[in-house]
Amino acid sequence: MTRILSKQRLLTIDPGCSEVFIEKQLSEKTEIVVGKGAHVRHYRLHEDLDHSLDVRLEENAVYELITLHRGNGNLTFSFDLTGRGATCRSDVVYVLTADQQTIIRSDVRHNADKTVSRQLVKGAVGGQGQAVFEGGIFIPYDKKEIDGAQQHRALLLSSDASVKAVPRLEIYADDVKCAHGSAIGTLDPDQLFYLKTRGIDESQARNLLTTAFLNEVLDTIADEKIREEFKQSAIEGLKNNV
Amino acid sequence: MSAWLEIKDLTVKVGDKPILNGLSLSVNAGEVHVIMGPNGSGKSTLSNVLCGDEHYKVTGGFIDFKEKNLLEMSVEERARAGIFLAFQHPIELPGVSMATFMKYALNARRKAAGEKELDAVSFMKRIKVRAQALGISDEMLKRPVNVGFSGGERKRLETFQMAVLEPDFCILDEMDSGLDVDAVKVAGNGVKIMRSPDRSFLVISHNIKFLKEQIVPDKIHVLVHGRIVANGGMELLDEIDQNGYAAFQKEAVA
Repeated sequence: MTRILSKQRLLTIDPGCSEVFIEKQLSEKTEIVVGKGAHVRHYRLHEDLDHSLDVRLEENAVYELITLHRGNGNLTFSFDLTGRGATCRSDVVYVLTADQQTIIRSDVRHNADKTVSRQLVKGAVGGQGQAVFEGGIFIPYDKKEIDGAQQHRALLLSSDASVKAVPRLEIYADDVKCAHGSAIGTLDPDQLFYLKTRGIDESQARNLLTTAFLNEVLDTIADEKIREEFKQSAIEGLKNNV
Repeated sequence: MSAWLEIKDLTVKVGDKPILNGLSLSVNAGEVHVIMGPNGSGKSTLSNVLCGDEHYKVTGGFIDFKEKNLLEMSVEERARAGIFLAFQHPIELPGVSMATFMKYALNARRKAAGEKELDAVSFMKRIKVRAQALGISDEMLKRPVNVGFSGGERKRLETFQMAVLEPDFCILDEMDSGLDVDAVKVAGNGVKIMRSPDRSFLVISHNIKFLKEQIVPDKIHVLVHGRIVANGGMELLDEIDQNGYAAFQKEAVA
């Protein structure tokens, strides 16, 4: 079942339930509790927004978030894996242009054994846009069989754009697999040249490569209608930008 | 009538290093020309200059294509005018499917020509027919361009792009290199299918068997130290096969 949420503040998903949520209008703060064995797919699309999201995952819960953020804003994410065997995926795409500024802070806390977290954050920043991504993963000393991964990648679409990545890994346990990485770069001149030799002009080529970059996240949205809406929104966010 | 492609006294540098030193060449409509020469003689430089690669600085001479100054045109304008380079090392485009790539490329041409964009049905028809002829599966069209494909598959996908875009002037830069016997035949077949009185080819290759059996060129040019030092027909292939480039290199120095 797909539900469209508007300005929801507290959301509790009953044990064993499977739900898909789409959110476009958000209040300042949302809290979500994903009950034992429940499976939630959560899609968020927003522009110019300050917001915090707190998610708690109980035993064997699966929570999958894909957020597309455009424009200004302070976003704070907190994912608390409190139940054994919980799995949290929290992907973010951000698109900035002109003089837009955004700060994205994310904390993933592995507070139970056998918990898994995956996070892929991808941004495209043009104009004089400025983005900061602070990504934390916390693993307490007594937790076992933890598997965490965080990747941040950003494209600078103009020479005045800037992106800063601040990873914060606090790993006190031994029985841990944890990978993280951040890469900030520009469009590849060889790829642009290849596209142009086929007759595609500079701006179309830049657009095609930038959307392809962001679509690594957006293409994983299972529902075609939602996927196309998100992809279209990303393209709009990139207009006059690439 | 002047030639389709007319290159006259072309000199090209990369950084401060001269690569082409007064190269002249003319190719008429419908002709297949081959450029041979030892490594480092400037063969790939020539193909990249024809496409408009900015790494190469043209310091003298001219290139006319269909009586227009090619050197004044941007990379994409040259492509739309009908120049196509099959890359020696095709570039990977993660996240871009071959189908999307070709849609952008075709529509860019149509837009420049003041035509309407292709509708989805005509587009699919156009690429499916050509994919089938070249043994390219639907799955290959959906996968990101050149990502995770073998050398042979990449070259086949270059041939496919050429078939979809129907360029007037095809430059094939070592399209047979690194391919097994069967893949070389597929590449050669692609050229055979495409051959027409309205289309010319400039083929760069070291593979004499490939040139003799698959390409069957009209003219052969030997490039040494950035200049054409010999022009001829198929008999040049036998000469090179037997004696290598030594004799030509002496000529170039003298």
